[in-house]
Amino acid sequence: MNEAVRNPAKPTNGPIIEIENLSISFFTRKGEIPAVMDFSCTVMPGEAMGIVGESGCGKSTVSLGIMRDLSNIGRIVGGKIKFQGKDMGELSDEELRAIRGNKIAMIYQEPMASLNPAMKVGQQLMEVPLIHDKVSKDEAYKRALDMVRAVKLPDPERMMRSYPHQLSGGQQQRIVIAMALLSKPALLLLDEPTTALDVTVEAGIVDLVKGLGEKFGTSMIFVSHNLGLILETCDRITVMYSGEAVETGKIKDVFDRMRHPYTQGLFRSIPLPGADKNSRPLISIPGQLPLPHERPKGCNFGPRCHHFVEGVCNAAEIPMIAVEGHDGHFSRCVRFNEIDWEALPPGAKKVNERVVPGAPVLQIEDLRKYYKVGGSEVFGSSEGRVVKANETISFMARESETVAIVGESGCGKSTLAKVLLGLETASSGRVKLGNKEIQSTGIEKRSVDTVSSIQMVFQNPFDTLNPSHSVGSQIIRTLEKFNVGNTVADRRKRMLELLDLVKLPRAFETRKPRQLSGGQKQRIGVARAFAGDAKVVVADEPVSALDVSVQAAVTELLMDIQRKNKTTMLFISHDLSVVRYIADRVVVMYLGYIVEQGTTDQIFSPPYHPYTEALLSAIPIADTSVVKRHIVLEGDIPSAMNPPSGCPFQTRCGYKKLVPDNLCETKVPPVKHLGDGHMSLCWLADDVLAKMEPVIKFDKEHAALEGVPDDAPHGTGPGFAGDPPKRPHGKTGSAEADAEGQVAENGEAVAKARRHEVRDEVSETGGISSSANSASAPIMPQTVGDGRQAEKATRKPRKRKGD
Amino acid sequence: MQVEYLSAFNVVLGVLARFWPVWIALALVMGASFGYKKKLGLYGQLFDSGVGIVGVGICLFWLFTAIFASTVAPFDPLAQVPIMKDALPGAIDPQSGLAYLFGGDKLARDVFSRMVYGSQIVLIIAPAATGFALMVGITLGLPAGYYGGRIDTVLSFLANLVLAFPVILLFYLLVTPGIMDTPIPYAMAGLFFLFPIIFFSVLFWTRYKNRPDRLYILLGLTLVVGGWIYAGLVFDADPFKIIHIDPNQLNIFVAVVFASSPGVFRIVRGLVMDIKTRDYVAAAQTRGESPWYIMLWEILPNARGPLIVEACLRIGYTTILLGTLGYFGLGLAPESPDWGTAIKDASRLLRSFIHPALPPTIALMSFVLGLNLLADSLREQSMKD
Repeated sequence: MNEAVRNPAKPTNGPIIEIENLSISFFTRKGEIPAVMDFSCTVMPGEAMGIVGESGCGKSTVSLGIMRDLSNIGRIVGGKIKFQGKDMGELSDEELRAIRGNKIAMIYQEPMASLNPAMKVGQQLMEVPLIHDKVSKDEAYKRALDMVRAVKLPDPERMMRSYPHQLSGGQQQRIVIAMALLSKPALLLLDEPTTALDVTVEAGIVDLVKGLGEKFGTSMIFVSHNLGLILETCDRITVMYSGEAVETGKIKDVFDRMRHPYTQGLFRSIPLPGADKNSRPLISIPGQLPLPHERPKGCNFGPRCHHFVEGVCNAAEIPMIAVEGHDGHFSRCVRFNEIDWEALPPGAKKVNERVVPGAPVLQIEDLRKYYKVGGSEVFGSSEGRVVKANETISFMARESETVAIVGESGCGKSTLAKVLLGLETASSGRVKLGNKEIQSTGIEKRSVDTVSSIQMVFQNPFDTLNPSHSVGSQIIRTLEKFNVGNTVADRRKRMLELLDLVKLPRAFETRKPRQLSGGQKQRIGVARAFAGDAKVVVADEPVSALDVSVQAAVTELLMDIQRKNKTTMLFISHDLSVVRYIADRVVVMYLGYIVEQGTTDQIFSPPYHPYTEALLSAIPIADTSVVKRHIVLEGDIPSAMNPPSGCPFQTRCGYKKLVPDNLCETKVPPVKHLGDGHMSLCWLADDVLAKMEPVIKFDKEHAALEGVPDDAPHGTGPGFAGDPPKRPHGKTGSAEADAEGQVAENGEAVAKARRHEVRDEVSETGGISSSANSASAPIMPQTVGDGRQAEKATRKPRKRKGD
Repeated sequence: MQVEYLSAFNVVLGVLARFWPVWIALALVMGASFGYKKKLGLYGQLFDSGVGIVGVGICLFWLFTAIFASTVAPFDPLAQVPIMKDALPGAIDPQSGLAYLFGGDKLARDVFSRMVYGSQIVLIIAPAATGFALMVGITLGLPAGYYGGRIDTVLSFLANLVLAFPVILLFYLLVTPGIMDTPIPYAMAGLFFLFPIIFFSVLFWTRYKNRPDRLYILLGLTLVVGGWIYAGLVFDADPFKIIHIDPNQLNIFVAVVFASSPGVFRIVRGLVMDIKTRDYVAAAQTRGESPWYIMLWEILPNARGPLIVEACLRIGYTTILLGTLGYFGLGLAPESPDWGTAIKDASRLLRSFIHPALPPTIALMSFVLGLNLLADSLREQSMKD
């Protein structure tokens, strides 16, 4: 690393930033709206602080407040922000400008919006040293180039010459990070930096961000809604709710022994390994975030909390209270010492019977969908390229079964949905709904019966309802279209029943969509899809745009209705955690191909398709007890306009060298049957597949064997709080990690392998294992064991018995 | 005979006093709107900003002036009092004892009364022509944006053709007496006036296809009312003799619609292309809605914000266009009191007398300014949600 990137900002022993009782309000027509209240936090040099919370909780306002970049209606009404010991409130505009972008840099969610589309990347990067350090042009170019190299972009010289639109989303975000680092900031603010990116690309960015603290001594404030990401990148965490920090502390303390009911609620509503839709369903937080001007007295979370006690929780404003035994762990809950942290909220404990799938409802055979692009409309030029959006898609879905279709953007899952719904017709192949072939019948030509029996739930709740019509009229229109009911009164009755079904008050009939929250809108979307007793419901990422606590409720609702109606559900998603929770079978797609399909158990345990393996590893899991193998894919998803030859995944596959004769690059692999309907599109030989190791060490059978009832006591260690019974604690993980470490010590590091920066001071077991040349070792290209969980295992030897 | 004059102060007082019905109506409407602004939706929100209040105020002022023109104006706009030729503002007509508040023009007519009556012509033709232009633009813009492809190519090409043609030349061609004798204006009127009927029929048909009880009433109403107006406007064959339009005005009307609709078409097309990518449109498609239902009931209501703004601005353009037409002496009768004609008449003597030119100019300017302010604040308020 050269001089441009080595020298961190002025080394200080005190905290980089100290926020004391910060309050920020927005002043609007309706008066003062407090956005952040009494927020305090301290970030030490080289430390990463995560701020997590749902939308509207004020986490972005905090980061903007630090930059003093609140829009003209926002104002800091109380508290202090001290940056390197200086109170920022006392600095002049001039001094603030010198700090912004120089000592504090910010990275936003949308990389394209942060880059100037009219300037070349190199120019934009050079601006930073030119303006802040007043260096010569050559020097600036040199520094910029070094930084592009430091953020691991391929072909740095070419990158410097490109315009932002010529780069992919992941590359753009790397450029933005490079730009932020060029000024050698002491503090880096990251506001949801990976939300707009695909999972495997996100994993690469997270990998990059994670090392920054050690490499450059930069402190970070990482704002995100994703607990898993915070776990992977940060040292400490602050949980925010409705404008207040409700809990703060070290990652380990907060994740394993949370002391605020809201934090616990968040963890219970995300599908961590161990949650099961039949035996251990998710527990959602009831109610909604209070509006900023309707916050209750006392604890803001009170109305939604099942530990709420009248007169205690709503008596007075609650300060942050220290949790004894933990350094720097605070909670804004007056009752955390009295609460039984194991207790489930009333009515939450329910066990659903496993649904037995019935006869096949939807059969897809060898489906292909090609698009012609480029030809001119008027002059009918024949020069056009063919985009193969779907290639040889074959799978089947049975009655009351949930089939998940997993893949990143551009994999063809949306095209598949369009073909199924008749918005597009197939180029070839067959789609059978019941006994009817529907692949070449467009939606206009389909009978009412067919149309109503295959319906869709859309992704974006803010887009799924027409803002101009009332909720009731939109459902009634759907009923009318599906010939449900004979009279207007009939349909209205049915509409009200549907509102009951999705657990919304009947008064919503007359509401306009803008009066509803995201989750409520999505419920209406669900009601609409089930209005005509659909046989097949295609759910296109139905919860990915919702807040964590709402996600659980909508997911549960979808499954309840599905169970009741025996509906077949095609669940399109990129989030494997949700998929593992909800799906019976999984179809993994990449660049238009199905690369792997099988039951959920088959997909989530080896042998994997290499892409599935990477996808599994890329997903951030908010559980300190999970051990993940670390696989970061090189590069980006190729464009469907210009797909690679041979296997679609060969450009990023780490196993390619294990296949003889360069087959991967020349021929599309055959579908390999691995037994029991488990199919994989890969050239890898059986013996290689057989040696694959699980990506996520998590032992479901073991948990079942133990037969731990939900309410049984689990005081097996200090880490037990919240809902550990819901997720087995890294029982197998630690031993493996130790073994990996030993292998790595003698093994040679693969050139491409990235060293996983081990965060936890206790564990030193992170290592690199390469098996390309050693037959005995498990096969894990670019793989590193995550040492984080090893520590847990040493603390709880009892838990390892079942391995 | 010596003409007596009012002092400048009395002229101002006199003008304010003449507008008394307008002030009363304005106070009532503005007061009521202000009081109930919370319940009036977008219109009510206009009263939250100064710009909005001024915009609404100016537009309503001219609207009421047009409505109460006969009360406000002291003289017949065409009546000539020979002694008052080129009289200065404040001259008192010795016969009636009433003052020519803004003086007299070269044909000895009262400039004030002509300005007041001029508002009638503008306020009838401009909004109505804009309304028809909107209908034509929407009806063609929806399919162009929604289907894209060949329909879009053809319609956009036609729109560009009209837009590329010099507007003034177009009017010279359309509004000359020679053309007026041919059936061309009537054919175009027949075509343009068909669009609202088509629009509303399709609107109700797509929505209530499965509900005959509503469908027949609405369709029947559309066809009867539409047919009646159509017969009156195009064939001048209104059986009740209520709806009638001068061939002159019809001509202008058709020309204005012809020139404005491509602009509306483009805006609608752009909006539709944006809105059709929304999930609720896909949701409508997946439940098997017909394309026209989607265009008219799913897409169009969500384009209403920009369209309302566009309508306001376009009424302003049309007002200016009418002024231009009057200035060139196209279409309207030479003695017509409209603002454009008045400006033209006054401009000939601008060196000697400036007072006949000012009132129509200021009237035209203030009305267009009011519309622009209204459009601005509408746009601002609709963005806030």
